[in-house]
Amino acid sequence: MTTMAAPFELKRQSPVVPSGVRKMRESQKAATRNRVIAAAQALFDTQGYQGTTVRDIAQRAGVSVGSVFTTFTSKGEILSQVMLDRLSALYAELERVAPHLRGSTRDRLCSMFAMHFAFAAPMTRLFLAHIAAAYDWTLPPDAQPFGRNPRLQGLIHDCLAKGAAEGDVDPAVDFHEVVDLLMAAYAWTYRHAASDTADVATMTAVMDRQIALIASGFRPR
Amino acid sequence: MKHIAPIEAAGETPMKVPTRRALAKQQTRAKVLAAARALFSEAGYEGATIRDIATAAGMSTGAVFANFTDKSDLFREIMIADMASLGEAMRAAAAGSNRGVDEILLKMFMAGYAFYKTQMPLARAAFSVGWSPEDGPALRNAPVAQQLYELMAEQLQLGVQRGELGQEAEVKLRAHMLFDIYLSNYPLAIFEGWSLEALQARARDQIRVLLAGARRG
Repeated sequence: MTTMAAPFELKRQSPVVPSGVRKMRESQKAATRNRVIAAAQALFDTQGYQGTTVRDIAQRAGVSVGSVFTTFTSKGEILSQVMLDRLSALYAELERVAPHLRGSTRDRLCSMFAMHFAFAAPMTRLFLAHIAAAYDWTLPPDAQPFGRNPRLQGLIHDCLAKGAAEGDVDPAVDFHEVVDLLMAAYAWTYRHAASDTADVATMTAVMDRQIALIASGFRPR
Repeated sequence: MKHIAPIEAAGETPMKVPTRRALAKQQTRAKVLAAARALFSEAGYEGATIRDIATAAGMSTGAVFANFTDKSDLFREIMIADMASLGEAMRAAAAGSNRGVDEILLKMFMAGYAFYKTQMPLARAAFSVGWSPEDGPALRNAPVAQQLYELMAEQLQLGVQRGELGQEAEVKLRAHMLFDIYLSNYPLAIFEGWSLEALQARARDQIRVLLAGARRG
C-alpha cells in the first residue's frame, strides 16, 4: 500500500496537475463565481445589501457557504465584484460613445455624467451600499474605494484635453485638479439620493450646475 | 421599617430624586459612549456589537438598551458630539484669519482634518454610516452637520461682501461643492495615509480652482 501511495502523493504535490484536471477545476471555480455573482446581484436588488446574508446568496446560487468563501473573503467583496462587473459595462459604453459626443467641453461632460446617473438609477440603493461598504472593514485592503476610478478619470481627462485643443479649455489649467473636482462633485451628488431619495433627473440637474460652475473656472481667460 | 418611610417620602419630592437619577443616567450614558467610541475605532461600525460595547462598559446589554434605542442611535450621538466640536474648531480657525477667502477656507478644511487625524478609524466608520441607505439620512441631515456647510457658505458670502468674489458667485452651490471637496479628501487620509501637509497642498489647489470662476476681474 505504501509503495502505491508514495508516487500518488508526489504527483499531487508537484505543480504539474494534468491540464485537463486543472482546466476543469478552473472552469468549476469560474462557474461558481458567476453563479454567486448572479445570485448576489438579484438578492441585493430585492432585499438590499444589509438584508442579504452570505447564506442567502449561497442558497440561491445552489452552492455551499464554504465554496462561496473559497472564492470571496466577505459579503463586501461580493458586492464590490457585482458593482465592478456592472461598471465595466458602463465604461465600455462610455469609451465607445465619448469620441462621438458633440458640443462644448461643458456639454460633453454633462452628457458623460448624465449617462452615469441614468445607469446607476435602477440600483441607487445598491450604489449607496457599495459606497458605504467601501468605508467599512468588510472589504479587503486592496479593494478600490469608491470615487477613485482610473478608467473614468482617464475619460474625463481626455475630454478636457480635447477641449484645450479646440479652444474652450484654458490649456494652463491643471487637468488633474479639474478631474479631481469633477470626481468629487460626481461622487457626492449621490448624497442627494441618500438623503432626499432624488431621482435621475434631479441628480443630473445638480451635476449639470456643478459642471457649469467648474467650467467657469477652466474657460480661457 | 418605620424609618424608611421618610426617605421614600423625600424621594418623591419633585427635585431631589430625579436629579440624582438623572445624574446616574448621565454617568451611565457617558460610560457607554466612551466604550462605544473605543470599539467603533477598533472594529468599525459593523464590527462592534451592542454586546461588546456593554461588556467594555462593564454593564449588561439591557442597561445599554435602557439608554440607547440601538447601535445607530449610539453612533449618531457620538458623531453629533464630534461635529459640534468640529464646528467650533472651524469657527475658531476662520476667526483667527484675516486673509483672503481662499486662506480662510483652507484653514477651516485643515481644522477638520486635524480634528480627525488622531481618530481616522472613527472617521471611516462615520463615512460608512453616512452613506448607508438606512442610517445615512439621519446623520447627514443633523443640524450639526448642516452647520459645517453653513460655515463655508458664510465665508463665501463674506468674500462677496469684501469684493473678492463677484455678486453672481452662486454662494449656495459653491458652498455645497466646497463641503463635498472637504469630505472627498478624507478617503486619501483614511486609505492612503496622506499627511496633513499633503492634504493642505491638495485642498489649496482645489479651493483655488473652485473659486476661479467666481473671482472678480
